[in-house]
Amino acid sequence: MKEKIKNSLKNSFVNLCRIIPMILAVVGLVGLFKAYITPQILQKFFNGNVIHDVLMGVIAGGVSVGQPFLSYIIGGELLKEGVSLYAVTAFILSFVTLGVVQLPLQIEIFGKRFTILFNVLSFIFTIIVSIVTVWTLKILGLV
Amino acid sequence: MKSGIIMLILVILIYIGLYLSGSDTVFLALNYSFKSLKKLSFVFIMVFVMMFLIDMFVNDKKIAKYFDSAKGIKAYLIAMIAGVLSHGSSYVWYPILQSLREKGVKDSLIITFLYARSIKIPWIPMMIAYFGTGFTVGLIIYIMVASLIQGLIVRKFFEGE
Repeated sequence: MKEKIKNSLKNSFVNLCRIIPMILAVVGLVGLFKAYITPQILQKFFNGNVIHDVLMGVIAGGVSVGQPFLSYIIGGELLKEGVSLYAVTAFILSFVTLGVVQLPLQIEIFGKRFTILFNVLSFIFTIIVSIVTVWTLKILGLV
Repeated sequence: MKSGIIMLILVILIYIGLYLSGSDTVFLALNYSFKSLKKLSFVFIMVFVMMFLIDMFVNDKKIAKYFDSAKGIKAYLIAMIAGVLSHGSSYVWYPILQSLREKGVKDSLIITFLYARSIKIPWIPMMIAYFGTGFTVGLIIYIMVASLIQGLIVRKFFEGE
């Protein structure tokens, strides 16, 4: 048991250390983003229309690459800059459910049929989950 | 780690470039970055604890075994829970899932598992820090429901059961 605890502590520490350079890089980018990108620029991409914003969020998340925490940092900052929660939810969800860069690997391992089915369903359900989550929070008065 | 270091060097070069070009806004950017880092420091202690607990108590091989043995509707619930509990990169899981498919596990169960994997337990403290507990709980519940529905849709319309 003592050995297992020691190994788990070591594994977790090593895993966390591995992602630290990426975290620092993203935090640096977020600082640049906040300083240089104005809300007016963002409004060109996210105009407040639910469907439009959700689709933009899904596309942005789907083409992005990286660990989930990156999407939380970016999404959190987008929210502070006035981007709608619909778009941010779609972004952080599609970041982990859809992955354009993973498509070739998925096709190679699972085949074309499975990959298409999985990604089409993921795309549709990411839109639905994003909208329903925000609706629920609004109904409950949490946002 | 290598890509992280390259990315970090690129970001540092951008900051240096902006500083040399005489932009004062770069100090504002640096200030924002330090504020974000301060906010994240406590979250990372929580993330470390979650990573440790998962590494201690969750065994990927056991997850795959349970997932393989379940039958009927219960199988979808197990696939969903297995997806939530599974950790590590997708690249590691894809070959395991493909071997399960070859052993007869249905595509509908694999789809349920894969969608449920979008819940990342170690990163929940960070999600709460940025979006609040209500949002995090709501999103997690809907992801779980969505993963089940997707599996059942595939079962009904593509596997004819």
